[in-house]
Amino acid sequence: MKVAPSEPEEEAAAPLASSDADLRIARLEGQVAALEAALERRSHELRELQRLLCRRDLAQWARLQAGLPPLPRIPYEPGYWHETLELTVAEVPETLEALWTSIHPERPATFALGAAAARPRTPG
Amino acid sequence: MSGPRITLVVLAWNQWRLTERCLQTLAATDLEGAEVLVVDNGSTDETPDRLARIPWVRTLRLPQNAGFVRGNNAGIAAAAPGSDVVLLNNDLELTQRDWLHRLAACARSAPDVGVVGCRMVLPDGRLLHAGTYIMPDTLWGQQVGSLERDIGQHAGIEEVEGIVFACAYIKREVLDAIGPLALDFESYFEDTDFCLRARRAGWKTVLCGEVTLIHDEHGSTRGDDRALMELFQGSREIFRRKWQGELDARYRCQLLWQSIMNFPTGYAMSCRELLRALDELGVRTVYRYVYGPKTVFPPVEPESSGDYRLNVIRGRPEPRSPEVAVVYGQGDVFARNRGRRKVGFTMLEVDGFPREWVRQANRMDEVWVPSEFNRRGFLDSGLERPIHVVPLGVDVRYFNPGIAAYPNPAGEFVFLALFEWGERKEPSLLLRAFNDEFAAHEPVRLLCKVINRDPGVRLKEEIRRLRLRAAGGRISYLFNLEFPHYQLGALYRSADAFVAVSRGEGWNMPLMEAMACGLPTIATDWGAHQEFVHAGNAYPLRVRKLVPARAKCPYYDGFRWADPDPEHLRFLLRHVYEHRDEARARGLAAAREMASRWTWTAAAQRIAGRLEAMGVLPASAARGADRAGSLAAVPGRAGGASTAA
Repeated sequence: MKVAPSEPEEEAAAPLASSDADLRIARLEGQVAALEAALERRSHELRELQRLLCRRDLAQWARLQAGLPPLPRIPYEPGYWHETLELTVAEVPETLEALWTSIHPERPATFALGAAAARPRTPG
Repeated sequence: MSGPRITLVVLAWNQWRLTERCLQTLAATDLEGAEVLVVDNGSTDETPDRLARIPWVRTLRLPQNAGFVRGNNAGIAAAAPGSDVVLLNNDLELTQRDWLHRLAACARSAPDVGVVGCRMVLPDGRLLHAGTYIMPDTLWGQQVGSLERDIGQHAGIEEVEGIVFACAYIKREVLDAIGPLALDFESYFEDTDFCLRARRAGWKTVLCGEVTLIHDEHGSTRGDDRALMELFQGSREIFRRKWQGELDARYRCQLLWQSIMNFPTGYAMSCRELLRALDELGVRTVYRYVYGPKTVFPPVEPESSGDYRLNVIRGRPEPRSPEVAVVYGQGDVFARNRGRRKVGFTMLEVDGFPREWVRQANRMDEVWVPSEFNRRGFLDSGLERPIHVVPLGVDVRYFNPGIAAYPNPAGEFVFLALFEWGERKEPSLLLRAFNDEFAAHEPVRLLCKVINRDPGVRLKEEIRRLRLRAAGGRISYLFNLEFPHYQLGALYRSADAFVAVSRGEGWNMPLMEAMACGLPTIATDWGAHQEFVHAGNAYPLRVRKLVPARAKCPYYDGFRWADPDPEHLRFLLRHVYEHRDEARARGLAAAREMASRWTWTAAAQRIAGRLEAMGVLPASAARGADRAGSLAAVPGRAGGASTAA
């Protein structure tokens, strides 16, 4: 003997009256419309971001969305570097900290950059 | 002597909080053989009561504020008989347990060491003091290294012109010979004056860079700038009357130095170092910019160098008819030499010199080049004037194996290269060789600090065009970043090896700096840097042959440069990576050699030697061996940081 599939629980428990069903459908349709509008807005935002942001900022944004640490504010790979002939003044400790962290985000470099910062490591 | 060997004199005037902190930190250090004497300079706050409760401190209570000098002198007079004396400000924090014993050891390291100071940093970690100097032009003392980031510079023992007496170890013999601080001064300049008097009596002043203290400068006088300035100016006038003549007499000759100083170029950087070293050696240099409008480099030079000594040198009036002038720059500006006797000092990266350079050089009284490589090239190109090798140098106080490192925390072996993108440095050779030799999974990385100022070069495109393999050795870049020069030692020290691949060099300062930092280096075995690079202190990169120097630079036309062997480069990269102990040993050998032979002082002495040979400098100045002490009167420094008066 074949067993007939059971009805959804709530329907089985309390079959909807026609007016209740219409109301529910209307609400759901409203929710879908709202979601579609939100999706459209989001798509528009994304298109705008893609249009307006440079590749580096996009990567930065994507990393933050994914819960990853941000890229350092230094140009360390050709793809992210803004081609310029200008020299940017920088400090060695912060630059290296940012560089190493960007290369190995899983093992961020944390140098004591403040007071009594640099104690020499053993020569050689 | 059965009593204490050393008496620490801490001068205090009110501000118990500072004195308390100083004593607390002092108590945590090793004070064996020393007693602590606090001179209460007439404090009206809780200082007397609090001091009375500290059993390990002897207190000398003065009825009223006697000022910094008299207060300290009271402490010196009350010191244990026969003991050395250490003057300490109460706004110091002593964070190094063995500080006193290191100062004492330094003081006793030689019979003629009389006064010893130490490094001091501000509470925020910036370097405040690594000795002092004073220019007779301004009599406004300066602290060496002041406000630089602390990367471990000046960490050795070096003779200095003076120190601030916020912390001064004074040997008993010096006090017996010259007495205590001069009463001419109430505050400021008394320390300079003391160091000068000690010098006159035959005692050196030394910085013991092994000791670093924290100095909350002017802790007890902060907030009263006008009173401080009046005090300073009054002491300055007294100092001027006392020492101006003797300080002026430190200079034995004058030299007009026409060059470039305030642009980020190799000539400019080395010019700055030479000017400093010459000034310390007693050669009074007057600087003038040799380029500008209607020259090959038309930009007007910025006025400030960011360095007090250099700004003073730049601000000196030019003599009407200078006896000797040196043009340090490209050979096509030699003609701008304004001296009665003319020296042209230049270098080039190929095996000869352009006709125009030679034409102008032949109008000089003599020509200087930093290397035998260039001497040969000039003579081969038709130079008919005397030519001398005057090498450049490196500042081992900033470039040595003890400088701070910020290494890759992932433990990768890092090769470092610094270069300006162009034909001469041949970056494609290095990038390809590294990328081909190593695989991405190997824990090794090439870090390139690249500069590009050529509008005709699209750097990203150039690198893309190399088609480096994703699976090959990994390369990272630092593009167009300008670090303060004094910090570069920390960059070198953060790498494991240095690679200097090029087709030709006029000297190669970064290579020398990296070697001074103790890095094993790979360098093309052709060019001026062969002056200081050899198989015993580096890994010379084989050259296949000399080839025509084709580059945008017109000076190279018709000459040749090296064609480095890419296979040998790959071999050397792998060899250094796999033989780290050997490489490390070679790097340290290089550091020792740079420190012993290639300092800026040595370079300045070579110049002084030429000036002596030209008859414009007395012999003693040229031969002076020590850093600051070759002349009759060695400068002191300024009143700096007296705080507790």
